[in-house]
Amino acid sequence: MIQRLLAGERVLRKKEKTSRRRMSRQTRENIFGYLFISPWIIGFLGLTLGPLLFSLFASFTDYNITSRMNFIGLDNFKRMFTIDDLFKTSLWNTLYYVLFSVPLTTAGAIFLSVLLNQKVRGMKFFRTLYYLPAILSGVAVYFLWMQLLSPSTGLVNTFLAWIGIEGPAWLFDPEWTKPALLLMKMWSVGGGMLLYLASLQGVSASLYEAADLDGAGVMQKFFYITLPMISPIIFFDVLTSTIGAFQIFQEAYVMTENGSGGPGNSLLFYNLHMWNNAFEVFDMGYASAMAWLLFIVVMVLTIINMKLGKKWVHYEGEIINENCRSTEVL
Amino acid sequence: MKKGLIFIISAILLIGTLAGCSGEESVQAEKTKDGKVIVDFWSFWGSETRRPIIEKIIEDFNNSQDEVFVKHTYLPWGDIWTKNLASVAAGNPADVIINDINSVAQRAENAQSEDLSKYIDESFKNQFYPHLWETVMYGDKPYAVPFNTDTRLLFYNKDAFKEAGLDPEKPPATWAELEEYAAKLDIKDGDRYERVGFYPLWGSIGAASWMTSADGGKGFIQDGELYINTPKKQEALQWLLGWKERLGEKTVQSFEAEFGSEQSNPFIAGKVAMWVDIGTFYTQIRDYGEDMNFGVAPIPAFEKGSGNWSDGGGFVAEIPKGAKHPEEAMKFIKYLAGPEAQKYWAMKNYDNVANKEAAEAVVNELKGDDKYVYEASVKNLDQTQLFPVPVKYPDYQNRINPHIDSVLLGKTKPEKALAKAEKDVEKLKRK
Repeated sequence: MIQRLLAGERVLRKKEKTSRRRMSRQTRENIFGYLFISPWIIGFLGLTLGPLLFSLFASFTDYNITSRMNFIGLDNFKRMFTIDDLFKTSLWNTLYYVLFSVPLTTAGAIFLSVLLNQKVRGMKFFRTLYYLPAILSGVAVYFLWMQLLSPSTGLVNTFLAWIGIEGPAWLFDPEWTKPALLLMKMWSVGGGMLLYLASLQGVSASLYEAADLDGAGVMQKFFYITLPMISPIIFFDVLTSTIGAFQIFQEAYVMTENGSGGPGNSLLFYNLHMWNNAFEVFDMGYASAMAWLLFIVVMVLTIINMKLGKKWVHYEGEIINENCRSTEVL
Repeated sequence: MKKGLIFIISAILLIGTLAGCSGEESVQAEKTKDGKVIVDFWSFWGSETRRPIIEKIIEDFNNSQDEVFVKHTYLPWGDIWTKNLASVAAGNPADVIINDINSVAQRAENAQSEDLSKYIDESFKNQFYPHLWETVMYGDKPYAVPFNTDTRLLFYNKDAFKEAGLDPEKPPATWAELEEYAAKLDIKDGDRYERVGFYPLWGSIGAASWMTSADGGKGFIQDGELYINTPKKQEALQWLLGWKERLGEKTVQSFEAEFGSEQSNPFIAGKVAMWVDIGTFYTQIRDYGEDMNFGVAPIPAFEKGSGNWSDGGGFVAEIPKGAKHPEEAMKFIKYLAGPEAQKYWAMKNYDNVANKEAAEAVVNELKGDDKYVYEASVKNLDQTQLFPVPVKYPDYQNRINPHIDSVLLGKTKPEKALAKAEKDVEKLKRK
């Protein structure tokens, strides 16, 4: 009896021991886990979240990096709307750019992707050709375009002259600087095009077959099948390119003299003005305030976009549901 | 066992990452093996022409020293200022840095540079052009030492002058003559200009300079007062607009679009007959102009006797706030701004150096065209003004420029634009 009891206890103890070892193994694994991701956590806290919160705080001060950091309340924000005229100019320039570039590049990319989705010989070649500009990197491309857009010797105006149009001075004429930039952007819609191309390939052929049976034309098929089917991708593209367009900086910084924002400040974009405040005048507090205002604007627009998106974006699952409902009615 | 090893490795990696943030490295590098104090010197002179010159100066200094060793760090133009600022904020700046001459007071005000008054006496100060020395003063104390400067001259094409029936030894002296000569020097083929005699906004000069010149040399802000909307400045702006109307928007834009340096510079290519630029523009003419027959003259005066004003810029050597070896750094700065190094720099670059003795010595040593242009530029320093950015109006130029642009685009009348500009700058004033 006693022996049995002892044996039982031994088993219990053994169990306890293994469970304790298991526990400690668990903890140890956790420690390893945290250790392995620690560089990222430290990087995130120190290099992203930290500066983010710091800039939020700085936006309420007259911080100039080296000597000042007095709390001045909402003065920086007040300054934007009451004192700083360049703020309005830069905001207007940026809105202009967003308003035109997003629809134009989206439409351009869809148009191209539909063209490149045809079953024609040598299509792979064309797809590569149209995608190429998207992989070329920033500054070199801008320099290239400065050459192309040169008023009297540039390729663009030379081409226009062939067809009897006298081209404008593009980057030298404040009326034409923004259109010039839009033209340049249109050239590199290849990135968006690739997305659309991929989603077009996913549109079920049976839908088109059914439409054919019903006698639908090319345009009808495009508007009633293709567009709704790729609408989630359009939504994604519009959302990301809107956010991207608000942050336009490089183009104006590189393509205008000394990063000044072009003739008559016609290319002084929001981010360029912010950059000038931060790194030319070292008015870091004001620049931080500008950054946070941009954040708010972009966030509000994104939320509006999301809400509007629900009205026109069709997810395949929802279409099926609608079908189910309609069969129920039937 | 294996896990233990992984643990140790990851711990080492982690400590390594963290240690990277500490200042261990700089502590180690403060002395050379033979015990000399290392002075970290930052400049943006990394080009093929300038780098060997500054490095020779550093080498000469190092060879003359048994206590200080200067280490040169090249940082690209633009990057150097932001990096300096970040390192000042982090408390670990370079010992000497080359910085912009017109914003010394800004940096002094913002505690970004060291007060040098205890290292500088009257005799040292007297080595430099007074108008340059003024720029380094902030609240009665020097915060930098001038290194170089520049001045603008009128370069003109003597062959074109002969062709147009003008005396090549008699460059235009007033604005009226400038207009008269320019019209004679224009060559037109129908509506298209093959050669433009002159256009006041090309080259190294802007509307502000002409406006200042018309206004008896008075800048936009002087002694804390605004002189933006003055009758003379309005007149100058109208005059500039006249040039644009004469040539036509298209000609101006298409010429501007093709401006380049070296061979494609329009003056060197013979497409523009008169051209305002800084003295060192001469080296481009020398190297790419194929024996071009040119002359230099001061910028024409608004009217006879009103002064051939020019504006200048330049660079200073300064000690960033919190530098570890200010005393040693100052030793190097004194050498850098001293007659020997300055003379060498000027001989090699034809740059206008800040040290008077050096500048004058170079005039005597150069020959031919080198001497001709350099002498003219040194002489021109007497009529050259610097416009340091006032502490209370840090960004004033960016507020005025759009209004000037708008006049030149024919959208606003000069008086209206300048009134608006003055208002904008007023609003900007820092308390």
